[in-house]
Amino acid sequence: MSDARPLVSLRGVTKDYPKVATGGDRLRTLTALLFRRHDMPHFRALDSVDLEVRRGESLGIIGENGAGKSTLLKAIAGVVRPSAGAIEVNGRVGALLELGSGFHPDYTGRENIHLSSALMGLTRRDVRERIDSIIEFADIGEHIDEPIKHYSSGMVVRLGFAVATALEPDVLITDEVLAVGDESFQKKCIAWLERYRANGGTLLLCSHSMYHVQTLCAHAAWIHHGRLRMLGNSFDVTQEYLTWHEERNASQAPAQRAPEGPYPRVMKAWTEDGTGEPAAVFAQGGTLVLQAHAYEPDDRAPVLLFGIVRADGTSIYGSHSNESDFQPARSAPRQFAFEVRFEPLSLLPGKYRLRVHALDAEGLRLFDTLDIEFVVRGETRDYGLVALPHQWRPGRAVREAVGTS
Amino acid sequence: MASGPASLDSPARGPRWGWLLFSFTRREVLGRYAGSVSGLAWTLLHPLAQLAIYAFVFSHIFRIGVPEGYPRVSYLAFVAAALWPWIMFSEGLQRAMASIGANAGLIRKVAFPHRLLVYAAVLACCAIHGVGFIAVLAVLTALGDPIHLLRLPLVVVLLVPYMLLATGIGAALAALHILLRDVEHGLQVVLSVLFYASPILYPASLVPQSMRVWVEMNPLGWFSERLREVLFLGSPLVPGDALAALGCVAVFAGGLWVFQRLSPHFEDFL
Repeated sequence: MSDARPLVSLRGVTKDYPKVATGGDRLRTLTALLFRRHDMPHFRALDSVDLEVRRGESLGIIGENGAGKSTLLKAIAGVVRPSAGAIEVNGRVGALLELGSGFHPDYTGRENIHLSSALMGLTRRDVRERIDSIIEFADIGEHIDEPIKHYSSGMVVRLGFAVATALEPDVLITDEVLAVGDESFQKKCIAWLERYRANGGTLLLCSHSMYHVQTLCAHAAWIHHGRLRMLGNSFDVTQEYLTWHEERNASQAPAQRAPEGPYPRVMKAWTEDGTGEPAAVFAQGGTLVLQAHAYEPDDRAPVLLFGIVRADGTSIYGSHSNESDFQPARSAPRQFAFEVRFEPLSLLPGKYRLRVHALDAEGLRLFDTLDIEFVVRGETRDYGLVALPHQWRPGRAVREAVGTS
Repeated sequence: MASGPASLDSPARGPRWGWLLFSFTRREVLGRYAGSVSGLAWTLLHPLAQLAIYAFVFSHIFRIGVPEGYPRVSYLAFVAAALWPWIMFSEGLQRAMASIGANAGLIRKVAFPHRLLVYAAVLACCAIHGVGFIAVLAVLTALGDPIHLLRLPLVVVLLVPYMLLATGIGAALAALHILLRDVEHGLQVVLSVLFYASPILYPASLVPQSMRVWVEMNPLGWFSERLREVLFLGSPLVPGDALAALGCVAVFAGGLWVFQRLSPHFEDFL
C-alpha cells in the first residue's frame, strides 16, 4: 500500500438521476439502461467534480440542502454509481450515510449488530471479536436484547455509530450523523472521531455544523448546485460559505449616491493596510485603515459617519467624526480627507462592509453613502462578530460560606 | 436441502459476502415468523393445507388416478413429490422479485452486491420448504408409500437447476420491477397459469398427445416428472437432465445479466 496514491480520488464525477414521471419515461429509461444508451430524461445532481483526499487529510463537505453533498458521499461510498467520471478508493470504506439504515425493526439490537456489520463487510469472526466492544460503546444497557422498534431514535443512532466504530475503516464517511443523539453521546462520538483521526484515519464529513467541520477537518469542499465551488483550508471554505449565505439573506440595501449638487458628498473612500497600501483582505488582529475624501460645497468640514456591517446587514459598530475635537485635513478647496485606524482589528473572520456617510457640518442631515467591502481572514473557533478582550484565569475556590451543606 | 444457488455463488465471491448472504438468508427465514407465536409451523402448514385440498378435490371428486407407471403410490404422495418443489420455485421467484423493493432502505444507504438479496430470498424458500419436503416424504414413507429415500441426493441434484431457474427469472424480474411495477401483477397471473399447465396435480401422460410437446418443453413439467421418477421408481439421472440443467443455467446467466446491468441504477429509482 503506497501512501503516494490518494486515498480517494474523483475525476470528472457526474451523476444524472433519471426522471421517471410517466410510464413512457420509465420504458425509455429502462431500454437506455439495458442497452447503455444515454438519452434518458434526467436531472444532474453532480457535475464533473474533481476531488482528491490523501490519507489522514480529513475533508468536510458543506453546501446547501440539495446541493449534491449526499450524492457525492454516496458515490464515494459506492452506493451510487456515477454516470460519468471515475472514482478510485484505495482503502477500506466505512459509510454511515444514515445511522441505523441496515437495521431491521423486529430484531433485537444484538441481532442487528450482526447483520449490519455483515453489511459493512465484516466476517463472522470479526463480529464475534468485536461485539462486546460495540455493545459497550453503544451503552444502551439491557435494551440491547429488545427489538429495535422499541428504541428511541437516539438509541438507534448509538447502536449505528457503535457498529461503525468497530469497522476501523481507512476512510469513514459520515453524513450529518452527529446532529442526532444526546449531548454526551455526541461528545463520545467526537472523541472517537478525534482518536480515529489521530491514529491516521481519514474522515469524510458532511455537516451543516461549521464548528464540526472546522474541528474535525483540515480541508473542506463546498458543493454548490452539483459543482465543486471551493476547495481548501476548512476555515477559509466555511467562512466563504457562511459569507455567501449572509449575503444571500441580506436585505439588499442599495448604496445611495447623492445627486451632483450643493450637498456634502463622499467622493472617494478605500481601505488600506498598516503600510498605506490599498487592501481588501485583512488579518484578524491586524490593521485596517479607512481613507475617505468628502466634498462640502460651503467649504466647512463635513461630518463623516462610518458603520461596519456584516455581509448579511447586521450592524456591528458605527461612529462619527464630530464626537471629539477632530478636524479632517483640507486636501483641496471644499475637499476634506479623513482617516480611521482600526488597530488591532478585532473583527472575527468573515466578509464585511464599511459604510461611509457624509453629513452636513452640523452632523444633522445625512446626504451620501458609500460602501466598501472587505474580508477578514484568520483561524479561530471563536463565535460571533468581534473578539472581545478577555482573559482566562484559574478559577477561585468556592468560598466556605457558599454551597456547603 | 438448503443448497441451491449459494453453492454456485459463494466460491467466486469470497468469504466476505458469503457471511452476508448467510445473514440475509437467516433474516429471511426468521423474518417469516417474527411476531407470530407458532412461528415456522405456519410456513410448513400452508403447503400441507394445499396438499390436503388438492388430494381431496382431485382424487375424490375428479377421481384422477395415479398412472400405472407408479405402482402402490398414493395420489397424495404423487402430488407431494412435485408440489413442494413447485412451492419452492414459485415462492422463491415471487420473493426474489420483491427482494429489491423490500430492501430499498438498505440499497439507498449501504454498498453491497444487490444480487445477494435475490439469492437469499430463494435460499430461504429452499431452506423452509426443503425441511417441509423432507418431513412430508418421511411421513409418506411411514404411511407405506414406496419412496426411495436413498435417492434423495439425486433429488437435490435435480432441485439445483430448478432453483437456479427461479433465481435467474427472479433476478431479472426484481430488476425490472424497480422500474415497472406491472411486473408484480403479471407474475401472479403467469404463475397461476403455469401451475395448472404443468403436470404437478396430474401426470404428463394424461395430457392429450397433440399438446404433449408443450408439457415436455416446460422445464417445470420436466422436473416434476423427473422428481417423481427418481423418488418413486429410483430412476438414475438421464441425459435429458443435463440438457434441462443447461437451459436453467442459461436462464440464470441471462437473468443475472439483466440484473447486473440495472443494479447500479436501483438507487436512482427506489
